[in-house]
Amino acid sequence: MANIFWSNIFRKGESELQVITQLWQETPLFKDIPERHTASLCAKMHLRDFKAGEVIFNQGDQGAGAILVLDGKVRVSAQTAELAVLENGDFFGEIALAAPERRTADATAVSVSRLVYFLKQDLEEWLEHEPRLGTQFLMNLSATLAQRLYEANQLIARQA
Amino acid sequence: MSWQQSPHIRTFKLFALVVAICLASFYFISSVLIPVIISFTLYALFQPAVYYLVRHNVNHSLSILIVLVLLVITSGVMIAFALPALIEQVSLLQAKLPQIARQLEQLLTFYGAKLSERIGTDIDVSEVTLSILSKTSSLGQAALINVSNGLVSFVIVFILVPFLTYYLLKDFKNARNEMMNWLPNSSFELGWLIYYNVSTRLQAYTHGVMLQSLIMATFCSIGFLAIGLDIPILMGAIAGLFNLVPYIGPVISIVLSLLVGAAMTPFDADILYLSVAVIVSAQIFDNLVVIPSVVANSVNLHPVQAILGIIIFGSLFGTVGIILAVPAIVSGKIVFNNIYADMANASLKATP
Repeated sequence: MANIFWSNIFRKGESELQVITQLWQETPLFKDIPERHTASLCAKMHLRDFKAGEVIFNQGDQGAGAILVLDGKVRVSAQTAELAVLENGDFFGEIALAAPERRTADATAVSVSRLVYFLKQDLEEWLEHEPRLGTQFLMNLSATLAQRLYEANQLIARQA
Repeated sequence: MSWQQSPHIRTFKLFALVVAICLASFYFISSVLIPVIISFTLYALFQPAVYYLVRHNVNHSLSILIVLVLLVITSGVMIAFALPALIEQVSLLQAKLPQIARQLEQLLTFYGAKLSERIGTDIDVSEVTLSILSKTSSLGQAALINVSNGLVSFVIVFILVPFLTYYLLKDFKNARNEMMNWLPNSSFELGWLIYYNVSTRLQAYTHGVMLQSLIMATFCSIGFLAIGLDIPILMGAIAGLFNLVPYIGPVISIVLSLLVGAAMTPFDADILYLSVAVIVSAQIFDNLVVIPSVVANSVNLHPVQAILGIIIFGSLFGTVGIILAVPAIVSGKIVFNNIYADMANASLKATP
């Protein structure tokens, strides 16, 4: 459940679509993509509600797209180690947009959560509609994945 | 882990459920199945054209209307030009049918006598001929009944298809999203993944097969025209159409062209060899050039799987089954493999 005291007090009057658009727009994936185009894409994304403790995906599952936390908290873990706790505006699982790879960690809703799925199907249909912006998005996606790889390498180097 | 909990068994159960739902859906829409299939094919073919217009700032509904109007006009013009020629060729074929029968009898008598000499037994050629002719005539009668029923179906198809295609191009994605939202959270990604894999493969298959048929029809028509076979355009069109049925279609095309060649007067055996040569070279061109560049990767089926599938689907669902066999098996394989991968991972997770 969203925190009544803190949630959305600065976004009074905004529709859910505007909130989703703004959250995606703030991520590196939508850098340099005009807001109205992001909004038209966000209108086709998929909202799902999860109960506290419900599994979002398991390590080894086939991924269908990236996921944005709209409300709630999501725990990302591998085996027993907690990797991250994601909150409003955070996104994860973007590897699935680039390659048919399996999920590399477990994701579980810590509290009641509302998630936005941006599926590979949506991306491909958007690429057909907007190939230029789609190219920009793919550049952003590559940069994001490269950044994640760099961070993972740094972590391994520190642990070694 | 009990055998009932094994990923194989769970996959088979879920897959059987999916197949049952598909069959039930086909049963419920069986009266409009052909218009629905044609509309989905047109949807797959013309969706890129609609996207192209939308990209150039044309309103979505207007884009669909422009594409459909262009389609109707093009089909109308093609029918207006090609129909008289096709009708002429069909009536020519009808006129030649008795001659084909006589020629067939002569050929059977000739080769039957030779075969009898070789193996030393008598073959009753007239009985064989009678059997073939009676089967052909019953097929002909069935075809005539089909043609009269077909006229009614044609009107239904002609009215329904543009409407269905319009609404598919306009609203299919919204309806699809609504339906996918019914999936529980645990199967949401798997459902979309299966949809993505199946739709991508089927769209590529539809584009590839249509282009392949057109290329084959053109190739065979030119070939038949060059060798001087009767009714070359009709025979080329038939060869292109039968090319939709892998492996078995080309054999049927060869038999038909042999029959037409055999009925030509004066009888010229070279025409028969050349007809076979045209279809065989068309198949070589198809396998070496068209399939790798046009249909590549959209169908990843072993020939035995395809042939068995065509025979089974054909015996269960008739002509529609023969045409749908390959895409249905390809889709079935994708669904099964994805469900199995998911079940196997879940089972691995559950194992302590």
